[in-house]
Amino acid sequence: MVRTPQQFKEKQDIEVKTEHRVTKIDPKAKKVEVVNLSKSQTEWVPYDKLIIATGARSRRLTIPGSNAKNIFTLKDLEDGLRIRNYVDEKEPKCVAILGAGYISLEMCEAFRLRGLETFVFYRRELPAGNLEREISERILKELQENDVHFLPSHELVAFQLNSNGEVSSLETTKGNYPVDTVLMALGFIPNVEIAKEAGVELGKTGAIRTDIAQRTNVTDIYTAGDCCEVFNLVSQDWVYTPLGDIANKQGRVAGENTAGGRAFLSGVVGSAAFKVFELEVAFTGLGILAAQRYGFDVDSQVIEAESKVGYMPGAKRILVKLIFDRRDGRLLGGQMIGKEGVARRINALAVALHQKMTIDEIARLDFAYAPPFSAPFDPILIAAEQAAKKIKMD
Amino acid sequence: MAQKEKLIVIGGSAGGPSAAARAKRINPELEITMFEQGRFVSYGS
Repeated sequence: MVRTPQQFKEKQDIEVKTEHRVTKIDPKAKKVEVVNLSKSQTEWVPYDKLIIATGARSRRLTIPGSNAKNIFTLKDLEDGLRIRNYVDEKEPKCVAILGAGYISLEMCEAFRLRGLETFVFYRRELPAGNLEREISERILKELQENDVHFLPSHELVAFQLNSNGEVSSLETTKGNYPVDTVLMALGFIPNVEIAKEAGVELGKTGAIRTDIAQRTNVTDIYTAGDCCEVFNLVSQDWVYTPLGDIANKQGRVAGENTAGGRAFLSGVVGSAAFKVFELEVAFTGLGILAAQRYGFDVDSQVIEAESKVGYMPGAKRILVKLIFDRRDGRLLGGQMIGKEGVARRINALAVALHQKMTIDEIARLDFAYAPPFSAPFDPILIAAEQAAKKIKMD
Repeated sequence: MAQKEKLIVIGGSAGGPSAAARAKRINPELEITMFEQGRFVSYGS
């Protein structure tokens, strides 16, 4: 938690009302309906400018038994506390995590640290199914080395509950598995209901449509964060990428513009990083499938190289995959995995994407070199060099 | 005295607090209220 309501008031003169839910927006009369949840009181509050930053909620499966009290989701601090309290009090033995995205993978470590037998059920064949196969395969290996049971190609059918209303086992298309805790980590749904009802337009992703100034289609209503779309500079498309750093950037733009300034966020390239036990995983831009869908003539290059000069302590092997357009050599995306030097290194590729650089240009970049930090040829340079050769040979 | 211009921010996780703070910096005269349905603010940033 970065700040409390008192700090907002004292340091910034911003009134913060927690446990207050806005239930309606009236854009004609320019007011919102607010319910004080602790007192169950409702009032209408007028505005001149409005920012919708309603965020997102965890997607939940709706199958028989899915409202049981030992089924959790994880999005915010309160969710995290709920899970920790449950583990403290009930000392569960065995958790089923549904989904294999970054929340699932990070929670594997948390649950294993607390000694829970951990199962990951996923509808796809490999974890982190949106990433490249080479990355997913290494994630799978890391899970197995940490005694996480990964169960691929499962569709959930139902939860069986005991007499306390708790899940005692879950049934999938492949069998029945006894568990005493469930975490649904199945992605996020933007909270757009009050916006939509007020006539605020949604994009094709289902999140609030916006522009680079964070305006909506309704005058004096702006939006920011996990409830709205963001422009992807690589695909040149409005996408839904609910991440905290993007939310903060959009928030600054919305805040500046509602206060009479002129700010914009030209877009993002889709960078993110997460940790799976000892592994760092990082990616930016488009994967092969997405790039093909957007009509690029896609090729790729995978290499492995040392994170720093091999004789230095802590040097680790990194896998780098570059995705590029074979027509002009333009970089479209990059993904990396390894035990050291991955999460920060991806940022160089993010800059390259912002600047629409070609793999040939990337191969000749002047990176800082010293044995404790890197090799004379950085893994990114090696990957780009190999990729560039591939194009020239064609 | 003219009434202060009112900015309402719905949501107090990440985008909301960033927006409110920036708006106040740009225009200190703004009267800003941020509503959050949960117990905590600024938990997502």
